[in-house]
Amino acid sequence: MTLTQNPPARVAPAAPHRPRAGGLGRNWLGYLFISPALVLFLVFIGGPFVVAIGLSLFRWDMLTPPEFVGADNFRLLFEDPTLLQAFGNTFVFALASVVTHVVGALLLALAANRVAGRVVSYFVRTAVFFPFIISWAAVALLWQYMLDPAFGLVNHYIERLGLTPPDWFLDPSWALPAIIGIDFWHTLGFTFIIMLAGLQTVPQQLVEAARTDGANRRQVFWNVTVPMMSPTLFFATVITFIGAFQIFDPVQIITSGGPDDATTTLVMYLYEQGFQAFQIGYASTVAIVVFVVIMLVTLLQFWASRKWVYQQ
Amino acid sequence: MTDTLTGTPPRDDAAAPAPPRPVCTRRTDRRWTRSKVALLVLGIVLGLLTIFPLLWMVSGSFKTAAEVNSATLLPSAPTLDNYRYVFTEVPFLRYMLNSFFISATITVLALWFHSMAAYALARLKFRGRDTIFLLIFSTLLVSLPVILIPTFVVVRALGLVDSYAGLIVPAIFNAFGIFLLRQFYVSLPAELEEAALVDGASYWRIYRSVILPLSKPILSALAVFFFLANWNAFVWPLTITSDPDLRVVQLGIATFQQQYVGDWNYVLAAATVAALPTLLIFFFFQRQIVESIKNAGFK
Repeated sequence: MTLTQNPPARVAPAAPHRPRAGGLGRNWLGYLFISPALVLFLVFIGGPFVVAIGLSLFRWDMLTPPEFVGADNFRLLFEDPTLLQAFGNTFVFALASVVTHVVGALLLALAANRVAGRVVSYFVRTAVFFPFIISWAAVALLWQYMLDPAFGLVNHYIERLGLTPPDWFLDPSWALPAIIGIDFWHTLGFTFIIMLAGLQTVPQQLVEAARTDGANRRQVFWNVTVPMMSPTLFFATVITFIGAFQIFDPVQIITSGGPDDATTTLVMYLYEQGFQAFQIGYASTVAIVVFVVIMLVTLLQFWASRKWVYQQ
Repeated sequence: MTDTLTGTPPRDDAAAPAPPRPVCTRRTDRRWTRSKVALLVLGIVLGLLTIFPLLWMVSGSFKTAAEVNSATLLPSAPTLDNYRYVFTEVPFLRYMLNSFFISATITVLALWFHSMAAYALARLKFRGRDTIFLLIFSTLLVSLPVILIPTFVVVRALGLVDSYAGLIVPAIFNAFGIFLLRQFYVSLPAELEEAALVDGASYWRIYRSVILPLSKPILSALAVFFFLANWNAFVWPLTITSDPDLRVVQLGIATFQQQYVGDWNYVLAAATVAALPTLLIFFFFQRQIVESIKNAGFK
C-alpha cells in the first residue's frame, strides 16, 4: 500500500510543465507501454484467478459439460478427511520451514560475516547458496539417492553408528521430516542471502557504541542486531511462509503425497484432485482456500509486525 | 571424510599468525583467537557438508553400475559410459535444446515487456495505473501451482496444449520482475527524462535511449534470474506437455528416473547434465544472482 504512494508524488511535480493535451497523449502511451505485460497478466494470472472462483461453483471433469452445484464444493471441504490431513501437513511444513530457515539463515549469516579470511568467507557463502540454484528435479533425484533405504549413503553411516535407519520416504512418520530437511538444504541459501544483506543495514557505530558501554556479545545481539534487523527478519518470515505454504515440486517428484498421504500438502492435494481425479471444481475450491489462508496469515504477520518490527 | 579434509585448514591458519601485524590499534580482531579458529573450522565443515551431496552426485555419475551403490567416495575406475548412455538412449540433447530455447525466449520477452510495463507504472501517468499496479503486486502472494488448474483450463481453451507457445507464453509474466523494475525506475532522477523531453525526444525514445541503458545492471540480474527459473521449471512443462518432442530437461530427468528405477549411475549422470548449465551460469553471473535476491527486499 505504501509503495503506491511514492510514484504520484514523484510524477506530480513534473506535470505543470506539460500542456493538457500532453497528459492525454501520455494516457494513451501508458496503456501502450503496459499492454503486452498487462495482457499476459490478465490472460494467464488474473483470468485464471477469476476462472478458479467460477469453477469452484461447478462440478466438472473437463470432458462432460460442467454442472452448477452452488456452494457444494465448499461444504465438501468440511467433510474431507484428506483435506484436513493436507492442511496439517502443510502447516507443519510451513512452520518448520519458517523457524529453521529464518533462525538458521540468521545464525549462518552472522557466522559468515565474522569468519576470518576472504577465501573461507567466500567459500562458506557460495557453498550455502549453491543448492538453491539447482532445480528441484535434480535435487529430488539426488536426495532419493542419498536417502535410499538399501544403498543410500545416509543410511550407510547411520548403520555404522549402530542405529537402525528409517526407510525415509516409505515411512509415514519420516517422509515429511525428510522433505522438510531437503527443503532446508535446498532453499536456505535464499534466506541466507537476504540475511546477509540485512546485516549490512545494522549500523556499525551502534554496535561499537554498545560495546564501549560494556555490552557483551549476547547483549549486542539481542538489543542491537536483532532490533535493527527486524525489518529483514520480518520480510524473511513473510516470504518463507508464502513459499512454504505452496510447497509442491519436491513432494510431487519424490513421494506424490505418499505414503498414506503423509506428505500430501494442500497444493499436492489440489493437483491430485484436478489432474488425477478430474474434480476440477473441487480442486479450484481448494486453491481458493490456499489463497485465502496465505492472505490471512500474511495480513496477520503485517499486523503483528507493528509490535516487533523496528521502524526507522 | 569431511574430518580429513577439514583437518588441513586450521593448520594453515595456525601458520597465518606468524607474521603478526602490530596489534597496537583498536582492530584487535586481526588476532587469531581460539573462537576465531573454531568459527573458521565450523564454517569450512558446514560449507563442505552443504556441497557434499552435489559432489556425491557428480562422483556417482562416473561410477559403474556395480559401484554406484557402494559408499566409496571416488569412482575406482571412472567411466564416461553413463553420460554416453544418457545421450544415446534418450534424446537428452533434444531436451536440453528445448529447455534452452524456451528459457531464452521467455527471458528476452519478459525483460522487454516487463521493463516497458514497469516504466509505464513508474513514470507515465494514465488512468487506473495504481489499480493495475496493486493488482499485479497482490499476485506476488501466489505461485503457479495454486492457479495451475484454471491456468491449464485457460491455456487449453486457447488451444495451446502441447506446443512451444503453450510452454512459453504463459510463463512470461512475472509479478516480481515488474515490481523490481518499477522500484528501480521510481528511484531514477526525473531530471534525466525531463532533459530528454525538452530536447524533443519521444517517450519511446527516452525508454530506448535513456531508461534501458540505465537499467542494464538490474536487467542483467533479472535475465539470469528468469533464465535459471525457467531452466529449472518443472510444474508447468509437466502440466502442459505430453509430447516427448517438447520435453524439457527437468521433465526429462524425472521421467528418465521412472524408467530406470535403481540404475543410479545413469540417473545421476542425467541429473548432473541437467544441473551443469545452472552451475556454469552461477559461476559466471553470481553477482547478478545475489543482487536480484537482495533487491527483492531492499530496493
